Amino acid sequence: MSGPVAEAVAAGRLPGRVWLYSNYHCNLACTYCLTASAPGAPRRELGAARMLALAGEARDLGFTGLGVTGGEPFLLPWLPDALAEMSEILPVVALSNGTLFTGARLERLRPLAGRPVQIQISLDGADPGVHDAERGDGGHAAAVGAIRRLRQAGIGVRVATTAEELSPGERERLCAFHRNIGIDDDDHVVRPVVRRGRAAERDMGIAVGPADLPPELTVTAEGAYWSPFGPTVTDGRLDTDLLVTRTTTPLSIPAAALLRLVEGRPPGADAATGIR
Amino acid sequence: MTARELRPDRRHGPGDRRYPRGPVASVPLVGVDQAPLLARPYYEAGDPGPIVAALAHVPELLEACVPFLDVVFGPTALPGRTKELVILRTSARLSCRYCVEAHSVAALDAGLGPDEVRALCRPGADVAALADPAELALLAWVDAVAGGTGPVDPGPRAALARHFTDPEVVELTLLLGVTIMLNRFCTALDLPTSSETCRRLAEAGL
Repeated sequence: MSGPVAEAVAAGRLPGRVWLYSNYHCNLACTYCLTASAPGAPRRELGAARMLALAGEARDLGFTGLGVTGGEPFLLPWLPDALAEMSEILPVVALSNGTLFTGARLERLRPLAGRPVQIQISLDGADPGVHDAERGDGGHAAAVGAIRRLRQAGIGVRVATTAEELSPGERERLCAFHRNIGIDDDDHVVRPVVRRGRAAERDMGIAVGPADLPPELTVTAEGAYWSPFGPTVTDGRLDTDLLVTRTTTPLSIPAAALLRLVEGRPPGADAATGIR
Repeated sequence: MTARELRPDRRHGPGDRRYPRGPVASVPLVGVDQAPLLARPYYEAGDPGPIVAALAHVPELLEACVPFLDVVFGPTALPGRTKELVILRTSARLSCRYCVEAHSVAALDAGLGPDEVRALCRPGADVAALADPAELALLAWVDAVAGGTGPVDPGPRAALARHFTDPEVVELTLLLGVTIMLNRFCTALDLPTSSETCRRLAEAGL
């Protein structure tokens, strides 16, 4: 693999993962949601064919992984098949609130077993208190059940915790909990609430700019962004302050623009907040 | 004349009510708080003006267009007065309110008098305020190019060639063409005129 993007990824100057916003609607309406997602939110779907094409372009440019986020991606009935195909191209992590993995939806995920696909389930505490307050009643139990069922089905799972505050004691209880349900520490990420989208409307979280965020190329139906924390929705409007280009195909155009922006900032500038 | 002068009032925010003349732009003008990464350098000195604030919706186009416009409208081998004659006359021909108003001020800054500006803004009217044969030939050629379609009448082109070198004709032609592009862009998007431009126009009795 050669070319400026491949070289930058190999040298660690550019993160290897390309994020795809599959959609913006969600079955939940979490208090700190970056994209102000909800059941009636505009869908802004990328579509399966475009996601597959982008996956191929990402590989050809030298990126090394894919991320799928939303909205709730698994509301899209075609997503499991698309993830299976994408995982033939590059390893994939797909984010989910974990509330949909029962019955027929769980069955559709079974082909992902043994593939380089991880489903990242949101889990904001060791018990339902904070999690359900932010995400809705029953969300914690549903997520824990989903983690167990996905693992039993042989599908890769990781856990993400988003928290305004997490005391050392709460963190230790949470980590003991995820270990107990089979999630290793390496598959658990903790990140702060970011003050964008609905979180900003509700005066939650920490303010961030490009210097705080790793430059992970992120593609939406309406443009390419600096980070998956970029294409947020505030007051019903898609934010553009972290927009890189409106052009997303060919992917080389936003990738080249992102690389130029990255090379124009000081090294290590994203190290302070630890947002991943 | 520089492309920055296309953005005549950099103190006022896009969408600001202090853009008093003309309708509200038909697309929201991107403010500094939503300026995309590639557009941010153009906001560092304050309000970048409505053309940049509209182009900021598509930052990869902004990034290419503005340096291009800076070269075309900025200082070149042609005198500023000559360039403003072309820009203002073309804008009047194309009935672009935004460009006529902005470049009436730019033309004054380039040394044209108010009577000359008035004459340029009324295509078909007497241009006796302009006495220089080269400038009259230039205006006849602008009228032929900007006011028509299809092949350009060889008469005005031949007259132009008697006063301007081939490189000058090429540059004048590009300047005219880019002005037409901006005329239609600004008119189609209803870009607003800044309060500073309005003040200058009123001050000059225009």
